[in-house]
Parts: sequence; C-alpha cells; structure tokens
Amino acid sequence: MSELLEEYEALTQFLYMAPVGLAQTAMDGQIALINPVSAQLLMPLSRDGSLSNLFEALQDVAPDLRARVNGFGMSHGMVCEAMRLQVAAGVRGKSDPRVLSLTLLKLDETRLMAVLSDVSQQIKRERLLEHNEAWLSAIMTGITNYAIVSLDADGLVDDWNESIARVTGFTREAVLGQAYSIFYPQNATTQERVLDRLRDADGQGWSIDDGWRVRADGSQFWGTAMIVPLRNRDAPEDARPDKLAGLAEATPPTGAPRDASYCLVIRDITDKREASEKLRQASSCDHLTGIANRRAFFDAAELELDRWRRSPRPMSLILFDVDHFKRVNDTYGHPAGDAVLRRLAEILTNTFRQVDVVARIGGEEFAVLLPSTDLTGARIVADRLRQAVELSSVTTDGSCIHLTVSGGVATMEPGVPGIDALLKRADQRLYAAKTAGRNRIVWELPD
Amino acid sequence: MGEPSSLSFEQPDLGRALDALNEAQLDQLTFGVIGFDAGTAVRRYNTTESKFAGLSPERVLGHPLFTVVAPCMNNFMVAQRFEEAAERGETLDATIDYVLTLRMRPVKVQLRLIAAPNTLSRYVLVRR
Repeated sequence: MSELLEEYEALTQFLYMAPVGLAQTAMDGQIALINPVSAQLLMPLSRDGSLSNLFEALQDVAPDLRARVNGFGMSHGMVCEAMRLQVAAGVRGKSDPRVLSLTLLKLDETRLMAVLSDVSQQIKRERLLEHNEAWLSAIMTGITNYAIVSLDADGLVDDWNESIARVTGFTREAVLGQAYSIFYPQNATTQERVLDRLRDADGQGWSIDDGWRVRADGSQFWGTAMIVPLRNRDAPEDARPDKLAGLAEATPPTGAPRDASYCLVIRDITDKREASEKLRQASSCDHLTGIANRRAFFDAAELELDRWRRSPRPMSLILFDVDHFKRVNDTYGHPAGDAVLRRLAEILTNTFRQVDVVARIGGEEFAVLLPSTDLTGARIVADRLRQAVELSSVTTDGSCIHLTVSGGVATMEPGVPGIDALLKRADQRLYAAKTAGRNRIVWELPD
Repeated sequence: MGEPSSLSFEQPDLGRALDALNEAQLDQLTFGVIGFDAGTAVRRYNTTESKFAGLSPERVLGHPLFTVVAPCMNNFMVAQRFEEAAERGETLDATIDYVLTLRMRPVKVQLRLIAAPNTLSRYVLVRR
C-alpha cells in the first residue's frame, strides 16, 4: 500500500515538474486536469482569474479554438498541432514578442488533451533562418522565368532588358523612369511602401514579398518580388549594407546614399500559389473567417512600425467590435454568431485596401492597420465600414440578423512606444464608442 | 501551546509571527505555508500544504520553489513580485486570488505573498 502511495506521489511530482503545460478538458473546454506549467502560462491570460475553461482562458489569443474543435469531424485525432498564439507584441529593445505553442488532441468524443509551451525564443531564431532560406532558394532555382529590373536610389527603373518584357509584357518606353510600383496593382502598395522596401533591403540585405503583380495588359499574376541592394564599389566598407546580417543587429540607415542602386527580381509563381498560400493560411489566417489572425497582425504591425521609426509618416489603426455580439450568440446560437463574424470579415475585406492589414484579433474584435493613412483618412473609411455593416444583414436558419459595429481609431505619433500602446489607444476609443451608445466611430477622447 | 494555531491568514505582520513558530506549531495551521530563502530554496513546508499538494516535505525541502516545487507561480503575478521586492529592498505583503493545480485539479485559492528586507524567510501562504 505504502509502495503504491509513494509511486503516486512520484507521479504527482513528475507532472508538477514537467516543463510543458498539459491539460485535459471536456469538448466544451472545461478543464478536468491541469499541471502547473499550464497554470503558469494561462493565468496571466485569464480575464476573470479563474482556470475552469481552456477556451475561455485562451479567448483573447485564440478566439477560434471552439470553432476548430466543433469543426473537427473525426472521432479522435489532432485538432491542431503546435499552433502559435501571439500573446504580446513585445517592445523593441526591451522585451521579445511572446508566443505560445498549442497542440490540441481529441482523445475521444468527450475529452481533449492540450499541450502548451512558451516558444518565444524559438520563434526569434526561426525568423532569421526563414529569411536566409528564402535567399538561398531564390539563388538556387533556375533563372529563366525571372524579370530582372535595375532600380535607382528612388526606386525608379533605370535600365532595360528583355526579361522584363518576357515576364510582365511592358515595353522599354513604358517602364524606364517609372517607380517599380508599376508592377503592382493599384491598391496593393503606397508611395511610402515603395521606398520602405528599399530601406528594408538596405538594412537586411534583402526585401521579399509575395502577392499579386500586374502585367502591361492589366492582367494579374501571383509573383514573388525580391529587392537586393547592389554594392557600391566606391563606398567605404562600413557603409555597405551587410547581406545576410542578423535581423536584430542590423541598424537600418535613415536614407540610402544618392548613388545607391538596387536589383529587383520578379518571378511568376502563379502555379505555386495554391501550395504556398495554403501553407501561409494555415499559420496566419483565422480559421473561422479566413482573414489574418492575431499572430499575422502583430507580425505585419511590427514591420510597419519599424518602417515608421525609420521614417515617420501617417499610420493608423482601427479596432472594430460587433455590437451586442453576446446577444446574437445567446438568441440565435453559436453557428449564427459564426456566420455574423464571417460576414463582417467579408465586408472588412471589401472595404479596405489590399495594402491594409485586416485581422481578427479577438473573439468579436477586428483590427485594421492602415499604412500611409492619417487620422482623418482612417476615420472616414472606418465610418464607411460602419455604414456598410449597418446596411447589411445575415440570414441563418430563417432568421435575419441585423448588426452594427463600434470602432475606435488611433494614429501613430511620437510618444507611442509600440504596437501594444497604439492598440490600447484604439481600444480606449472603442470603449468610448460603446459607452456612447454603439454603432459609431470614436477617434478622440474628451480631456 | 494553543496559541499558534490561532494565527490567522489575514493577520498583520504575519511573516514575523511565522518566523517565531517551530515546525510542529507550523503544522497546526489551517493554511498552507511554504517558506523559502533568498535563493528560492524551500526551507519550511507545513503539513497543510503537503496535504494540499500531495507531496511529502522530503520531496520539497531544499529544492528551488519556482522551478521544481511550484512552477505554476513562476510568472509576473507571483515570482516576479518577490524578485522586484528584493531588488528594490522593499517589503512585500500582498494577498491575491490565484488558481493552483493541486494534484492536477484547478483549485481557486488565495495566496498571501510575504517578504521583507533583513529577514531570512519569504513566505507563500495558501488558503483554499
């Protein structure tokens, strides 16, 4: 008997000391068993300081967990594996972004097993590696379907070769002296973004983005575009951009020398789009609505903030929250609530530009990051969204649901230390919009 | 002799009162007591706490509190408060609501965190 007790105690301590979080829950997230590391990671996230339900404890960082579990068709198996949850964006030079990894295993029809761990450090290392890999694959793959474009210090095309015509159909006359944004659809980039990519390349040794590109005849293709600074032979060694330098260590110059030049390589990867988009969607899209998830939002916001620090320009953030969302769920059920969120995501996508980042960052909370947009501009488009929602409706199971949203707008300015602080400002205004009666946009707080 | 068990979870200046108790007296208290030193090694562990957690004192005494004994408290809500109090040379006496994973069940508890400069022991007290 005492032997059994001793074994039980050893097992208990084994679970106490296990350096990963483990929890067993019911299908609705209700926690049955949980070890200390889970509590260590979850307690700071819990809104009400209790740990009775895993989905509720994680609702701010993984709002789509319940939907994932409900949508999982098999009787047992992996609901999600090493899914990354962005907890905090981090403050440049002070704290790193915090990211948790969550694996959810359906054991049977009544039980789920969750494994949680803090992967913040690992993510930091991975980011460096990803960039280096992108470089290598670009260099190693064949060179035939590339357009190679030479750019001057301002991003204007300054030389002509046949590869440009082969991939994009543009003629020499059409491209010479034009900014390279000529290869981008109209709402997919901004004047500032054109220069941002050059500065990114100066700082890191490269800048890569995948997305829609446009040909001379207006047709679009899915392309990857890489910009590399060309070394200036006359420049002193320490002024040269250091290729493949560590992301964190590289201090980007405030502006490139007047005689800087760049090589832009555009490659048509339409045939690989499905595969690469699938991969991207798995990690950066919200499962329910298909728009960017919290993690992708923070990634994009951090990048945009870096650019803002390098050369300040307008940049705004809008937070939207569905009015009386709880009432929709309570009255019509969760599937109707889900339909409402999907509809809102659709209206958001149609209202904002391609260059804006539209994301679901909480249960019924959506964020939009607007590069090169001041407070007035953000306010106007926020209100356009509000009106579009007011005029729309969602029909599920025969009931027609009308909904409204409230929004808070904040704009980036000196003294706002980071994305968390900007979000907080927008959130305060969103709260003011709610207390003022909902279905409205607030962009300033009374003193 | 009857006096020690009348120590209450809320009473002021509890840290010093606990310092004055011997181990047998500590065991009579109705709340859990974990006493640890500046290096976070557990020095005192009473019977109440031992029963809550399902661990005998031999498995716990001498081990680092926040990594081996109670990793669930290793965050800004508990461990960091002790660190900050020590760094600033301040007194810490705070009671917080928390959830412990006693025998792997989430249990709502109150924790009282006690530390003071110039004293050897720091305490985490647990009331269910």
